[in-house]
Amino acid sequence: MTLTFLIHQSKAFWRSTNTGKSVAMRVVMGILILYLLLNVLVVAFFLDRILSRTNPEQDILYSFNSYILYYFLMDLLFRFQMQELPTLSVRPYLHLRIKKNQLINYLSITSLWTTFNLTPVLLSLPLLIKIVIPQHGHAQFWSLLVSIIGLTLSNHFFSLWIKRKVNLNAIWMLIFFGTLILLASLDFYFKLFSISTVSSVLFKIVLAEPLYCLLFSLLALVAYIINYRYLKSNLYLEELHTADNSHKSSTEIPYLNRFGKSGDLVANELKLILRNKRPRSVVTMSLMFMFYGLIFYTNPTFSGYSRIIFCGMFMTGIFIINYGQFMFSWQSAHFDGILVSKVSAMDFFRSKFLLFTFFSSICFLLTVPYVYFGWKILIVHFIMFIWNLGVNTLLVLYFANQNYRRIDLSKSSTFNWEGVGASQWILSIPLLLAPFVIYFPLDLLGYPEVGLALIAVIGMIFIISREFWINKLVKRFQEKRYLIAEGFRNK
Amino acid sequence: MIGISNLKKQYNGVTVVNIPELTIKRGETIGLVGNNGAGKTTLFRMMLDLIRPDSGEVLSDEKNVAESESWKDYTASYLDEGFLIDYLTPEEYFHFIGGLHNKSKVQVDSELPAFADFFNGEILKKGKYIRDLSKGNQTKVGVAACMIQNPQILMLDEPFANIDPSTQIRLKNMVKDISKEKHITTIISSHDLNHVTDVCERILLMEKGKIIKDIATNSNTLQELEQYFSVLS
Repeated sequence: MTLTFLIHQSKAFWRSTNTGKSVAMRVVMGILILYLLLNVLVVAFFLDRILSRTNPEQDILYSFNSYILYYFLMDLLFRFQMQELPTLSVRPYLHLRIKKNQLINYLSITSLWTTFNLTPVLLSLPLLIKIVIPQHGHAQFWSLLVSIIGLTLSNHFFSLWIKRKVNLNAIWMLIFFGTLILLASLDFYFKLFSISTVSSVLFKIVLAEPLYCLLFSLLALVAYIINYRYLKSNLYLEELHTADNSHKSSTEIPYLNRFGKSGDLVANELKLILRNKRPRSVVTMSLMFMFYGLIFYTNPTFSGYSRIIFCGMFMTGIFIINYGQFMFSWQSAHFDGILVSKVSAMDFFRSKFLLFTFFSSICFLLTVPYVYFGWKILIVHFIMFIWNLGVNTLLVLYFANQNYRRIDLSKSSTFNWEGVGASQWILSIPLLLAPFVIYFPLDLLGYPEVGLALIAVIGMIFIISREFWINKLVKRFQEKRYLIAEGFRNK
Repeated sequence: MIGISNLKKQYNGVTVVNIPELTIKRGETIGLVGNNGAGKTTLFRMMLDLIRPDSGEVLSDEKNVAESESWKDYTASYLDEGFLIDYLTPEEYFHFIGGLHNKSKVQVDSELPAFADFFNGEILKKGKYIRDLSKGNQTKVGVAACMIQNPQILMLDEPFANIDPSTQIRLKNMVKDISKEKHITTIISSHDLNHVTDVCERILLMEKGKIIKDIATNSNTLQELEQYFSVLS
């Protein structure tokens, strides 16, 4: 039966209308994953040396053991963010003569195929072979390996379970993150106990008594059963679809009223973002980007304005870039409705600018605390904010006019390549390069401040002449709208 | 009100719509019938400027729909769920559509009770998003949104499909009433010959993209149509 499902899945993939594109996407993805795995292998191969460098006074195996639990806690966090729930559209099978556990087993087994499950083994295997076998023997080697696999699988099924729980009720997310934060703060801040000590003691026991590794296998089994039972009792159409039947409020956003029709459109688009999974996760991802500066600004080896230009552009413009690159695909499901309704293309475009301004301003305000690292940073951020509003908004909307790909709003966004096409890649080139093309020549001549001023002036010019550019965009949109609408109708 | 001339559309060499000449007068109720693939929806889409015709033009109030947007002011249409903004609640959607036609929220709210029978208590104040409604209920939302626009031209693609028999009858009466009272031009496509001959004064029968019959409805029309469709099968 599992095989039949697999065949159906592959048919669904190959016979979908945009197979050619998604194959290309997958090849790119595959290369990317291979590259990452290669990195993992390199780290794995030198893990013993890395550990002896970082903790020179400790036994290598001891430090390895003490990191295991940390690793799996981090792993859990990343899985929670990125791991995809296995999806077989079960709808066409539910009413047929197929036992539920066949469906669930399929869902569980296919879910195992993820890099998250491969990395722990790859990462630890060379060290286990190099250190554990000569020092302790084969039984200890196997017991550690089985423990690590056991923990991997427990993490795997646990994160599937918790993600499904979160899908139905967001309170589980709070509980999950709350527990993790509590653990981390107890360890690092209050120093009540140390996860690393627990970890090293635990695996010392496993090394001493190899059979204890079965405990971890048991843990994995428990996680599997919890996930299994949860799926079994929830494999109903209505619950898989939307379990959230609470009353949806229809409150309006009062402030937007003063912008007329484009204000109404923005209100709708805000609802689009808040009520659909994929745009919502784009926005949360954008918020995560607000920490981007911490990587660069805390590191003294980067100097000069260029890093601030880069960070500033990303932090204040992340919404424009992340959300804007998929315009107008977000509205693909009701694009026909927009075209026939009494919304003029002008208002449509104005609403996009309004939305961008709204979110960019929020982002700019959120990055104000970086002033801690110097006033220059705040000024450059502001310049890049202007640049984003003036230039990048136009750039993104120009490319939106040639984006014909439909997007399903209800799917999550991590590793979701639906709606990704050439235009997104091409878009990133001018987006990344343009400010530096202006800045670098002047920097080389010794006038970096003039370069910054020029960026600001150009940004302002584009903001002031916006109406003119909107007219150009509208004209192009009128030519392209049939193609866009046709692409969006293509499910 | 609507004039079509030399309208042609091909997909992969197959002609899906080919209408040399068609005039629809103000206030007419037109029924569009034909088997699947006859080109009804494509025709609708070209009349609504959603698809670019290969040649020819659609004039609405003497203006080409592809060039002027003024037809949007007086044309209401519902072809499929792609016309609905599915993450809104029905109320929000009605307010939005009403707002586009300069109606305040209060105004829209005051018009909604008139649809109470039509909605049958399943649409309003349910706190559901449109995407969570059944297909039939989505159709009801789409049709009601059309009515809120006070259109002069109303276009519905298979409105009777997916909705229950009593609502079908209510919808029929609703369309009859408004086209009589407000003298609006209505174009409805349907596979239900009974309904369509009951509502419409003029029937256009499409086959392979062409209008092969253009009949003013009389007592024999239903029979004539039934005969055509049974011969085909």
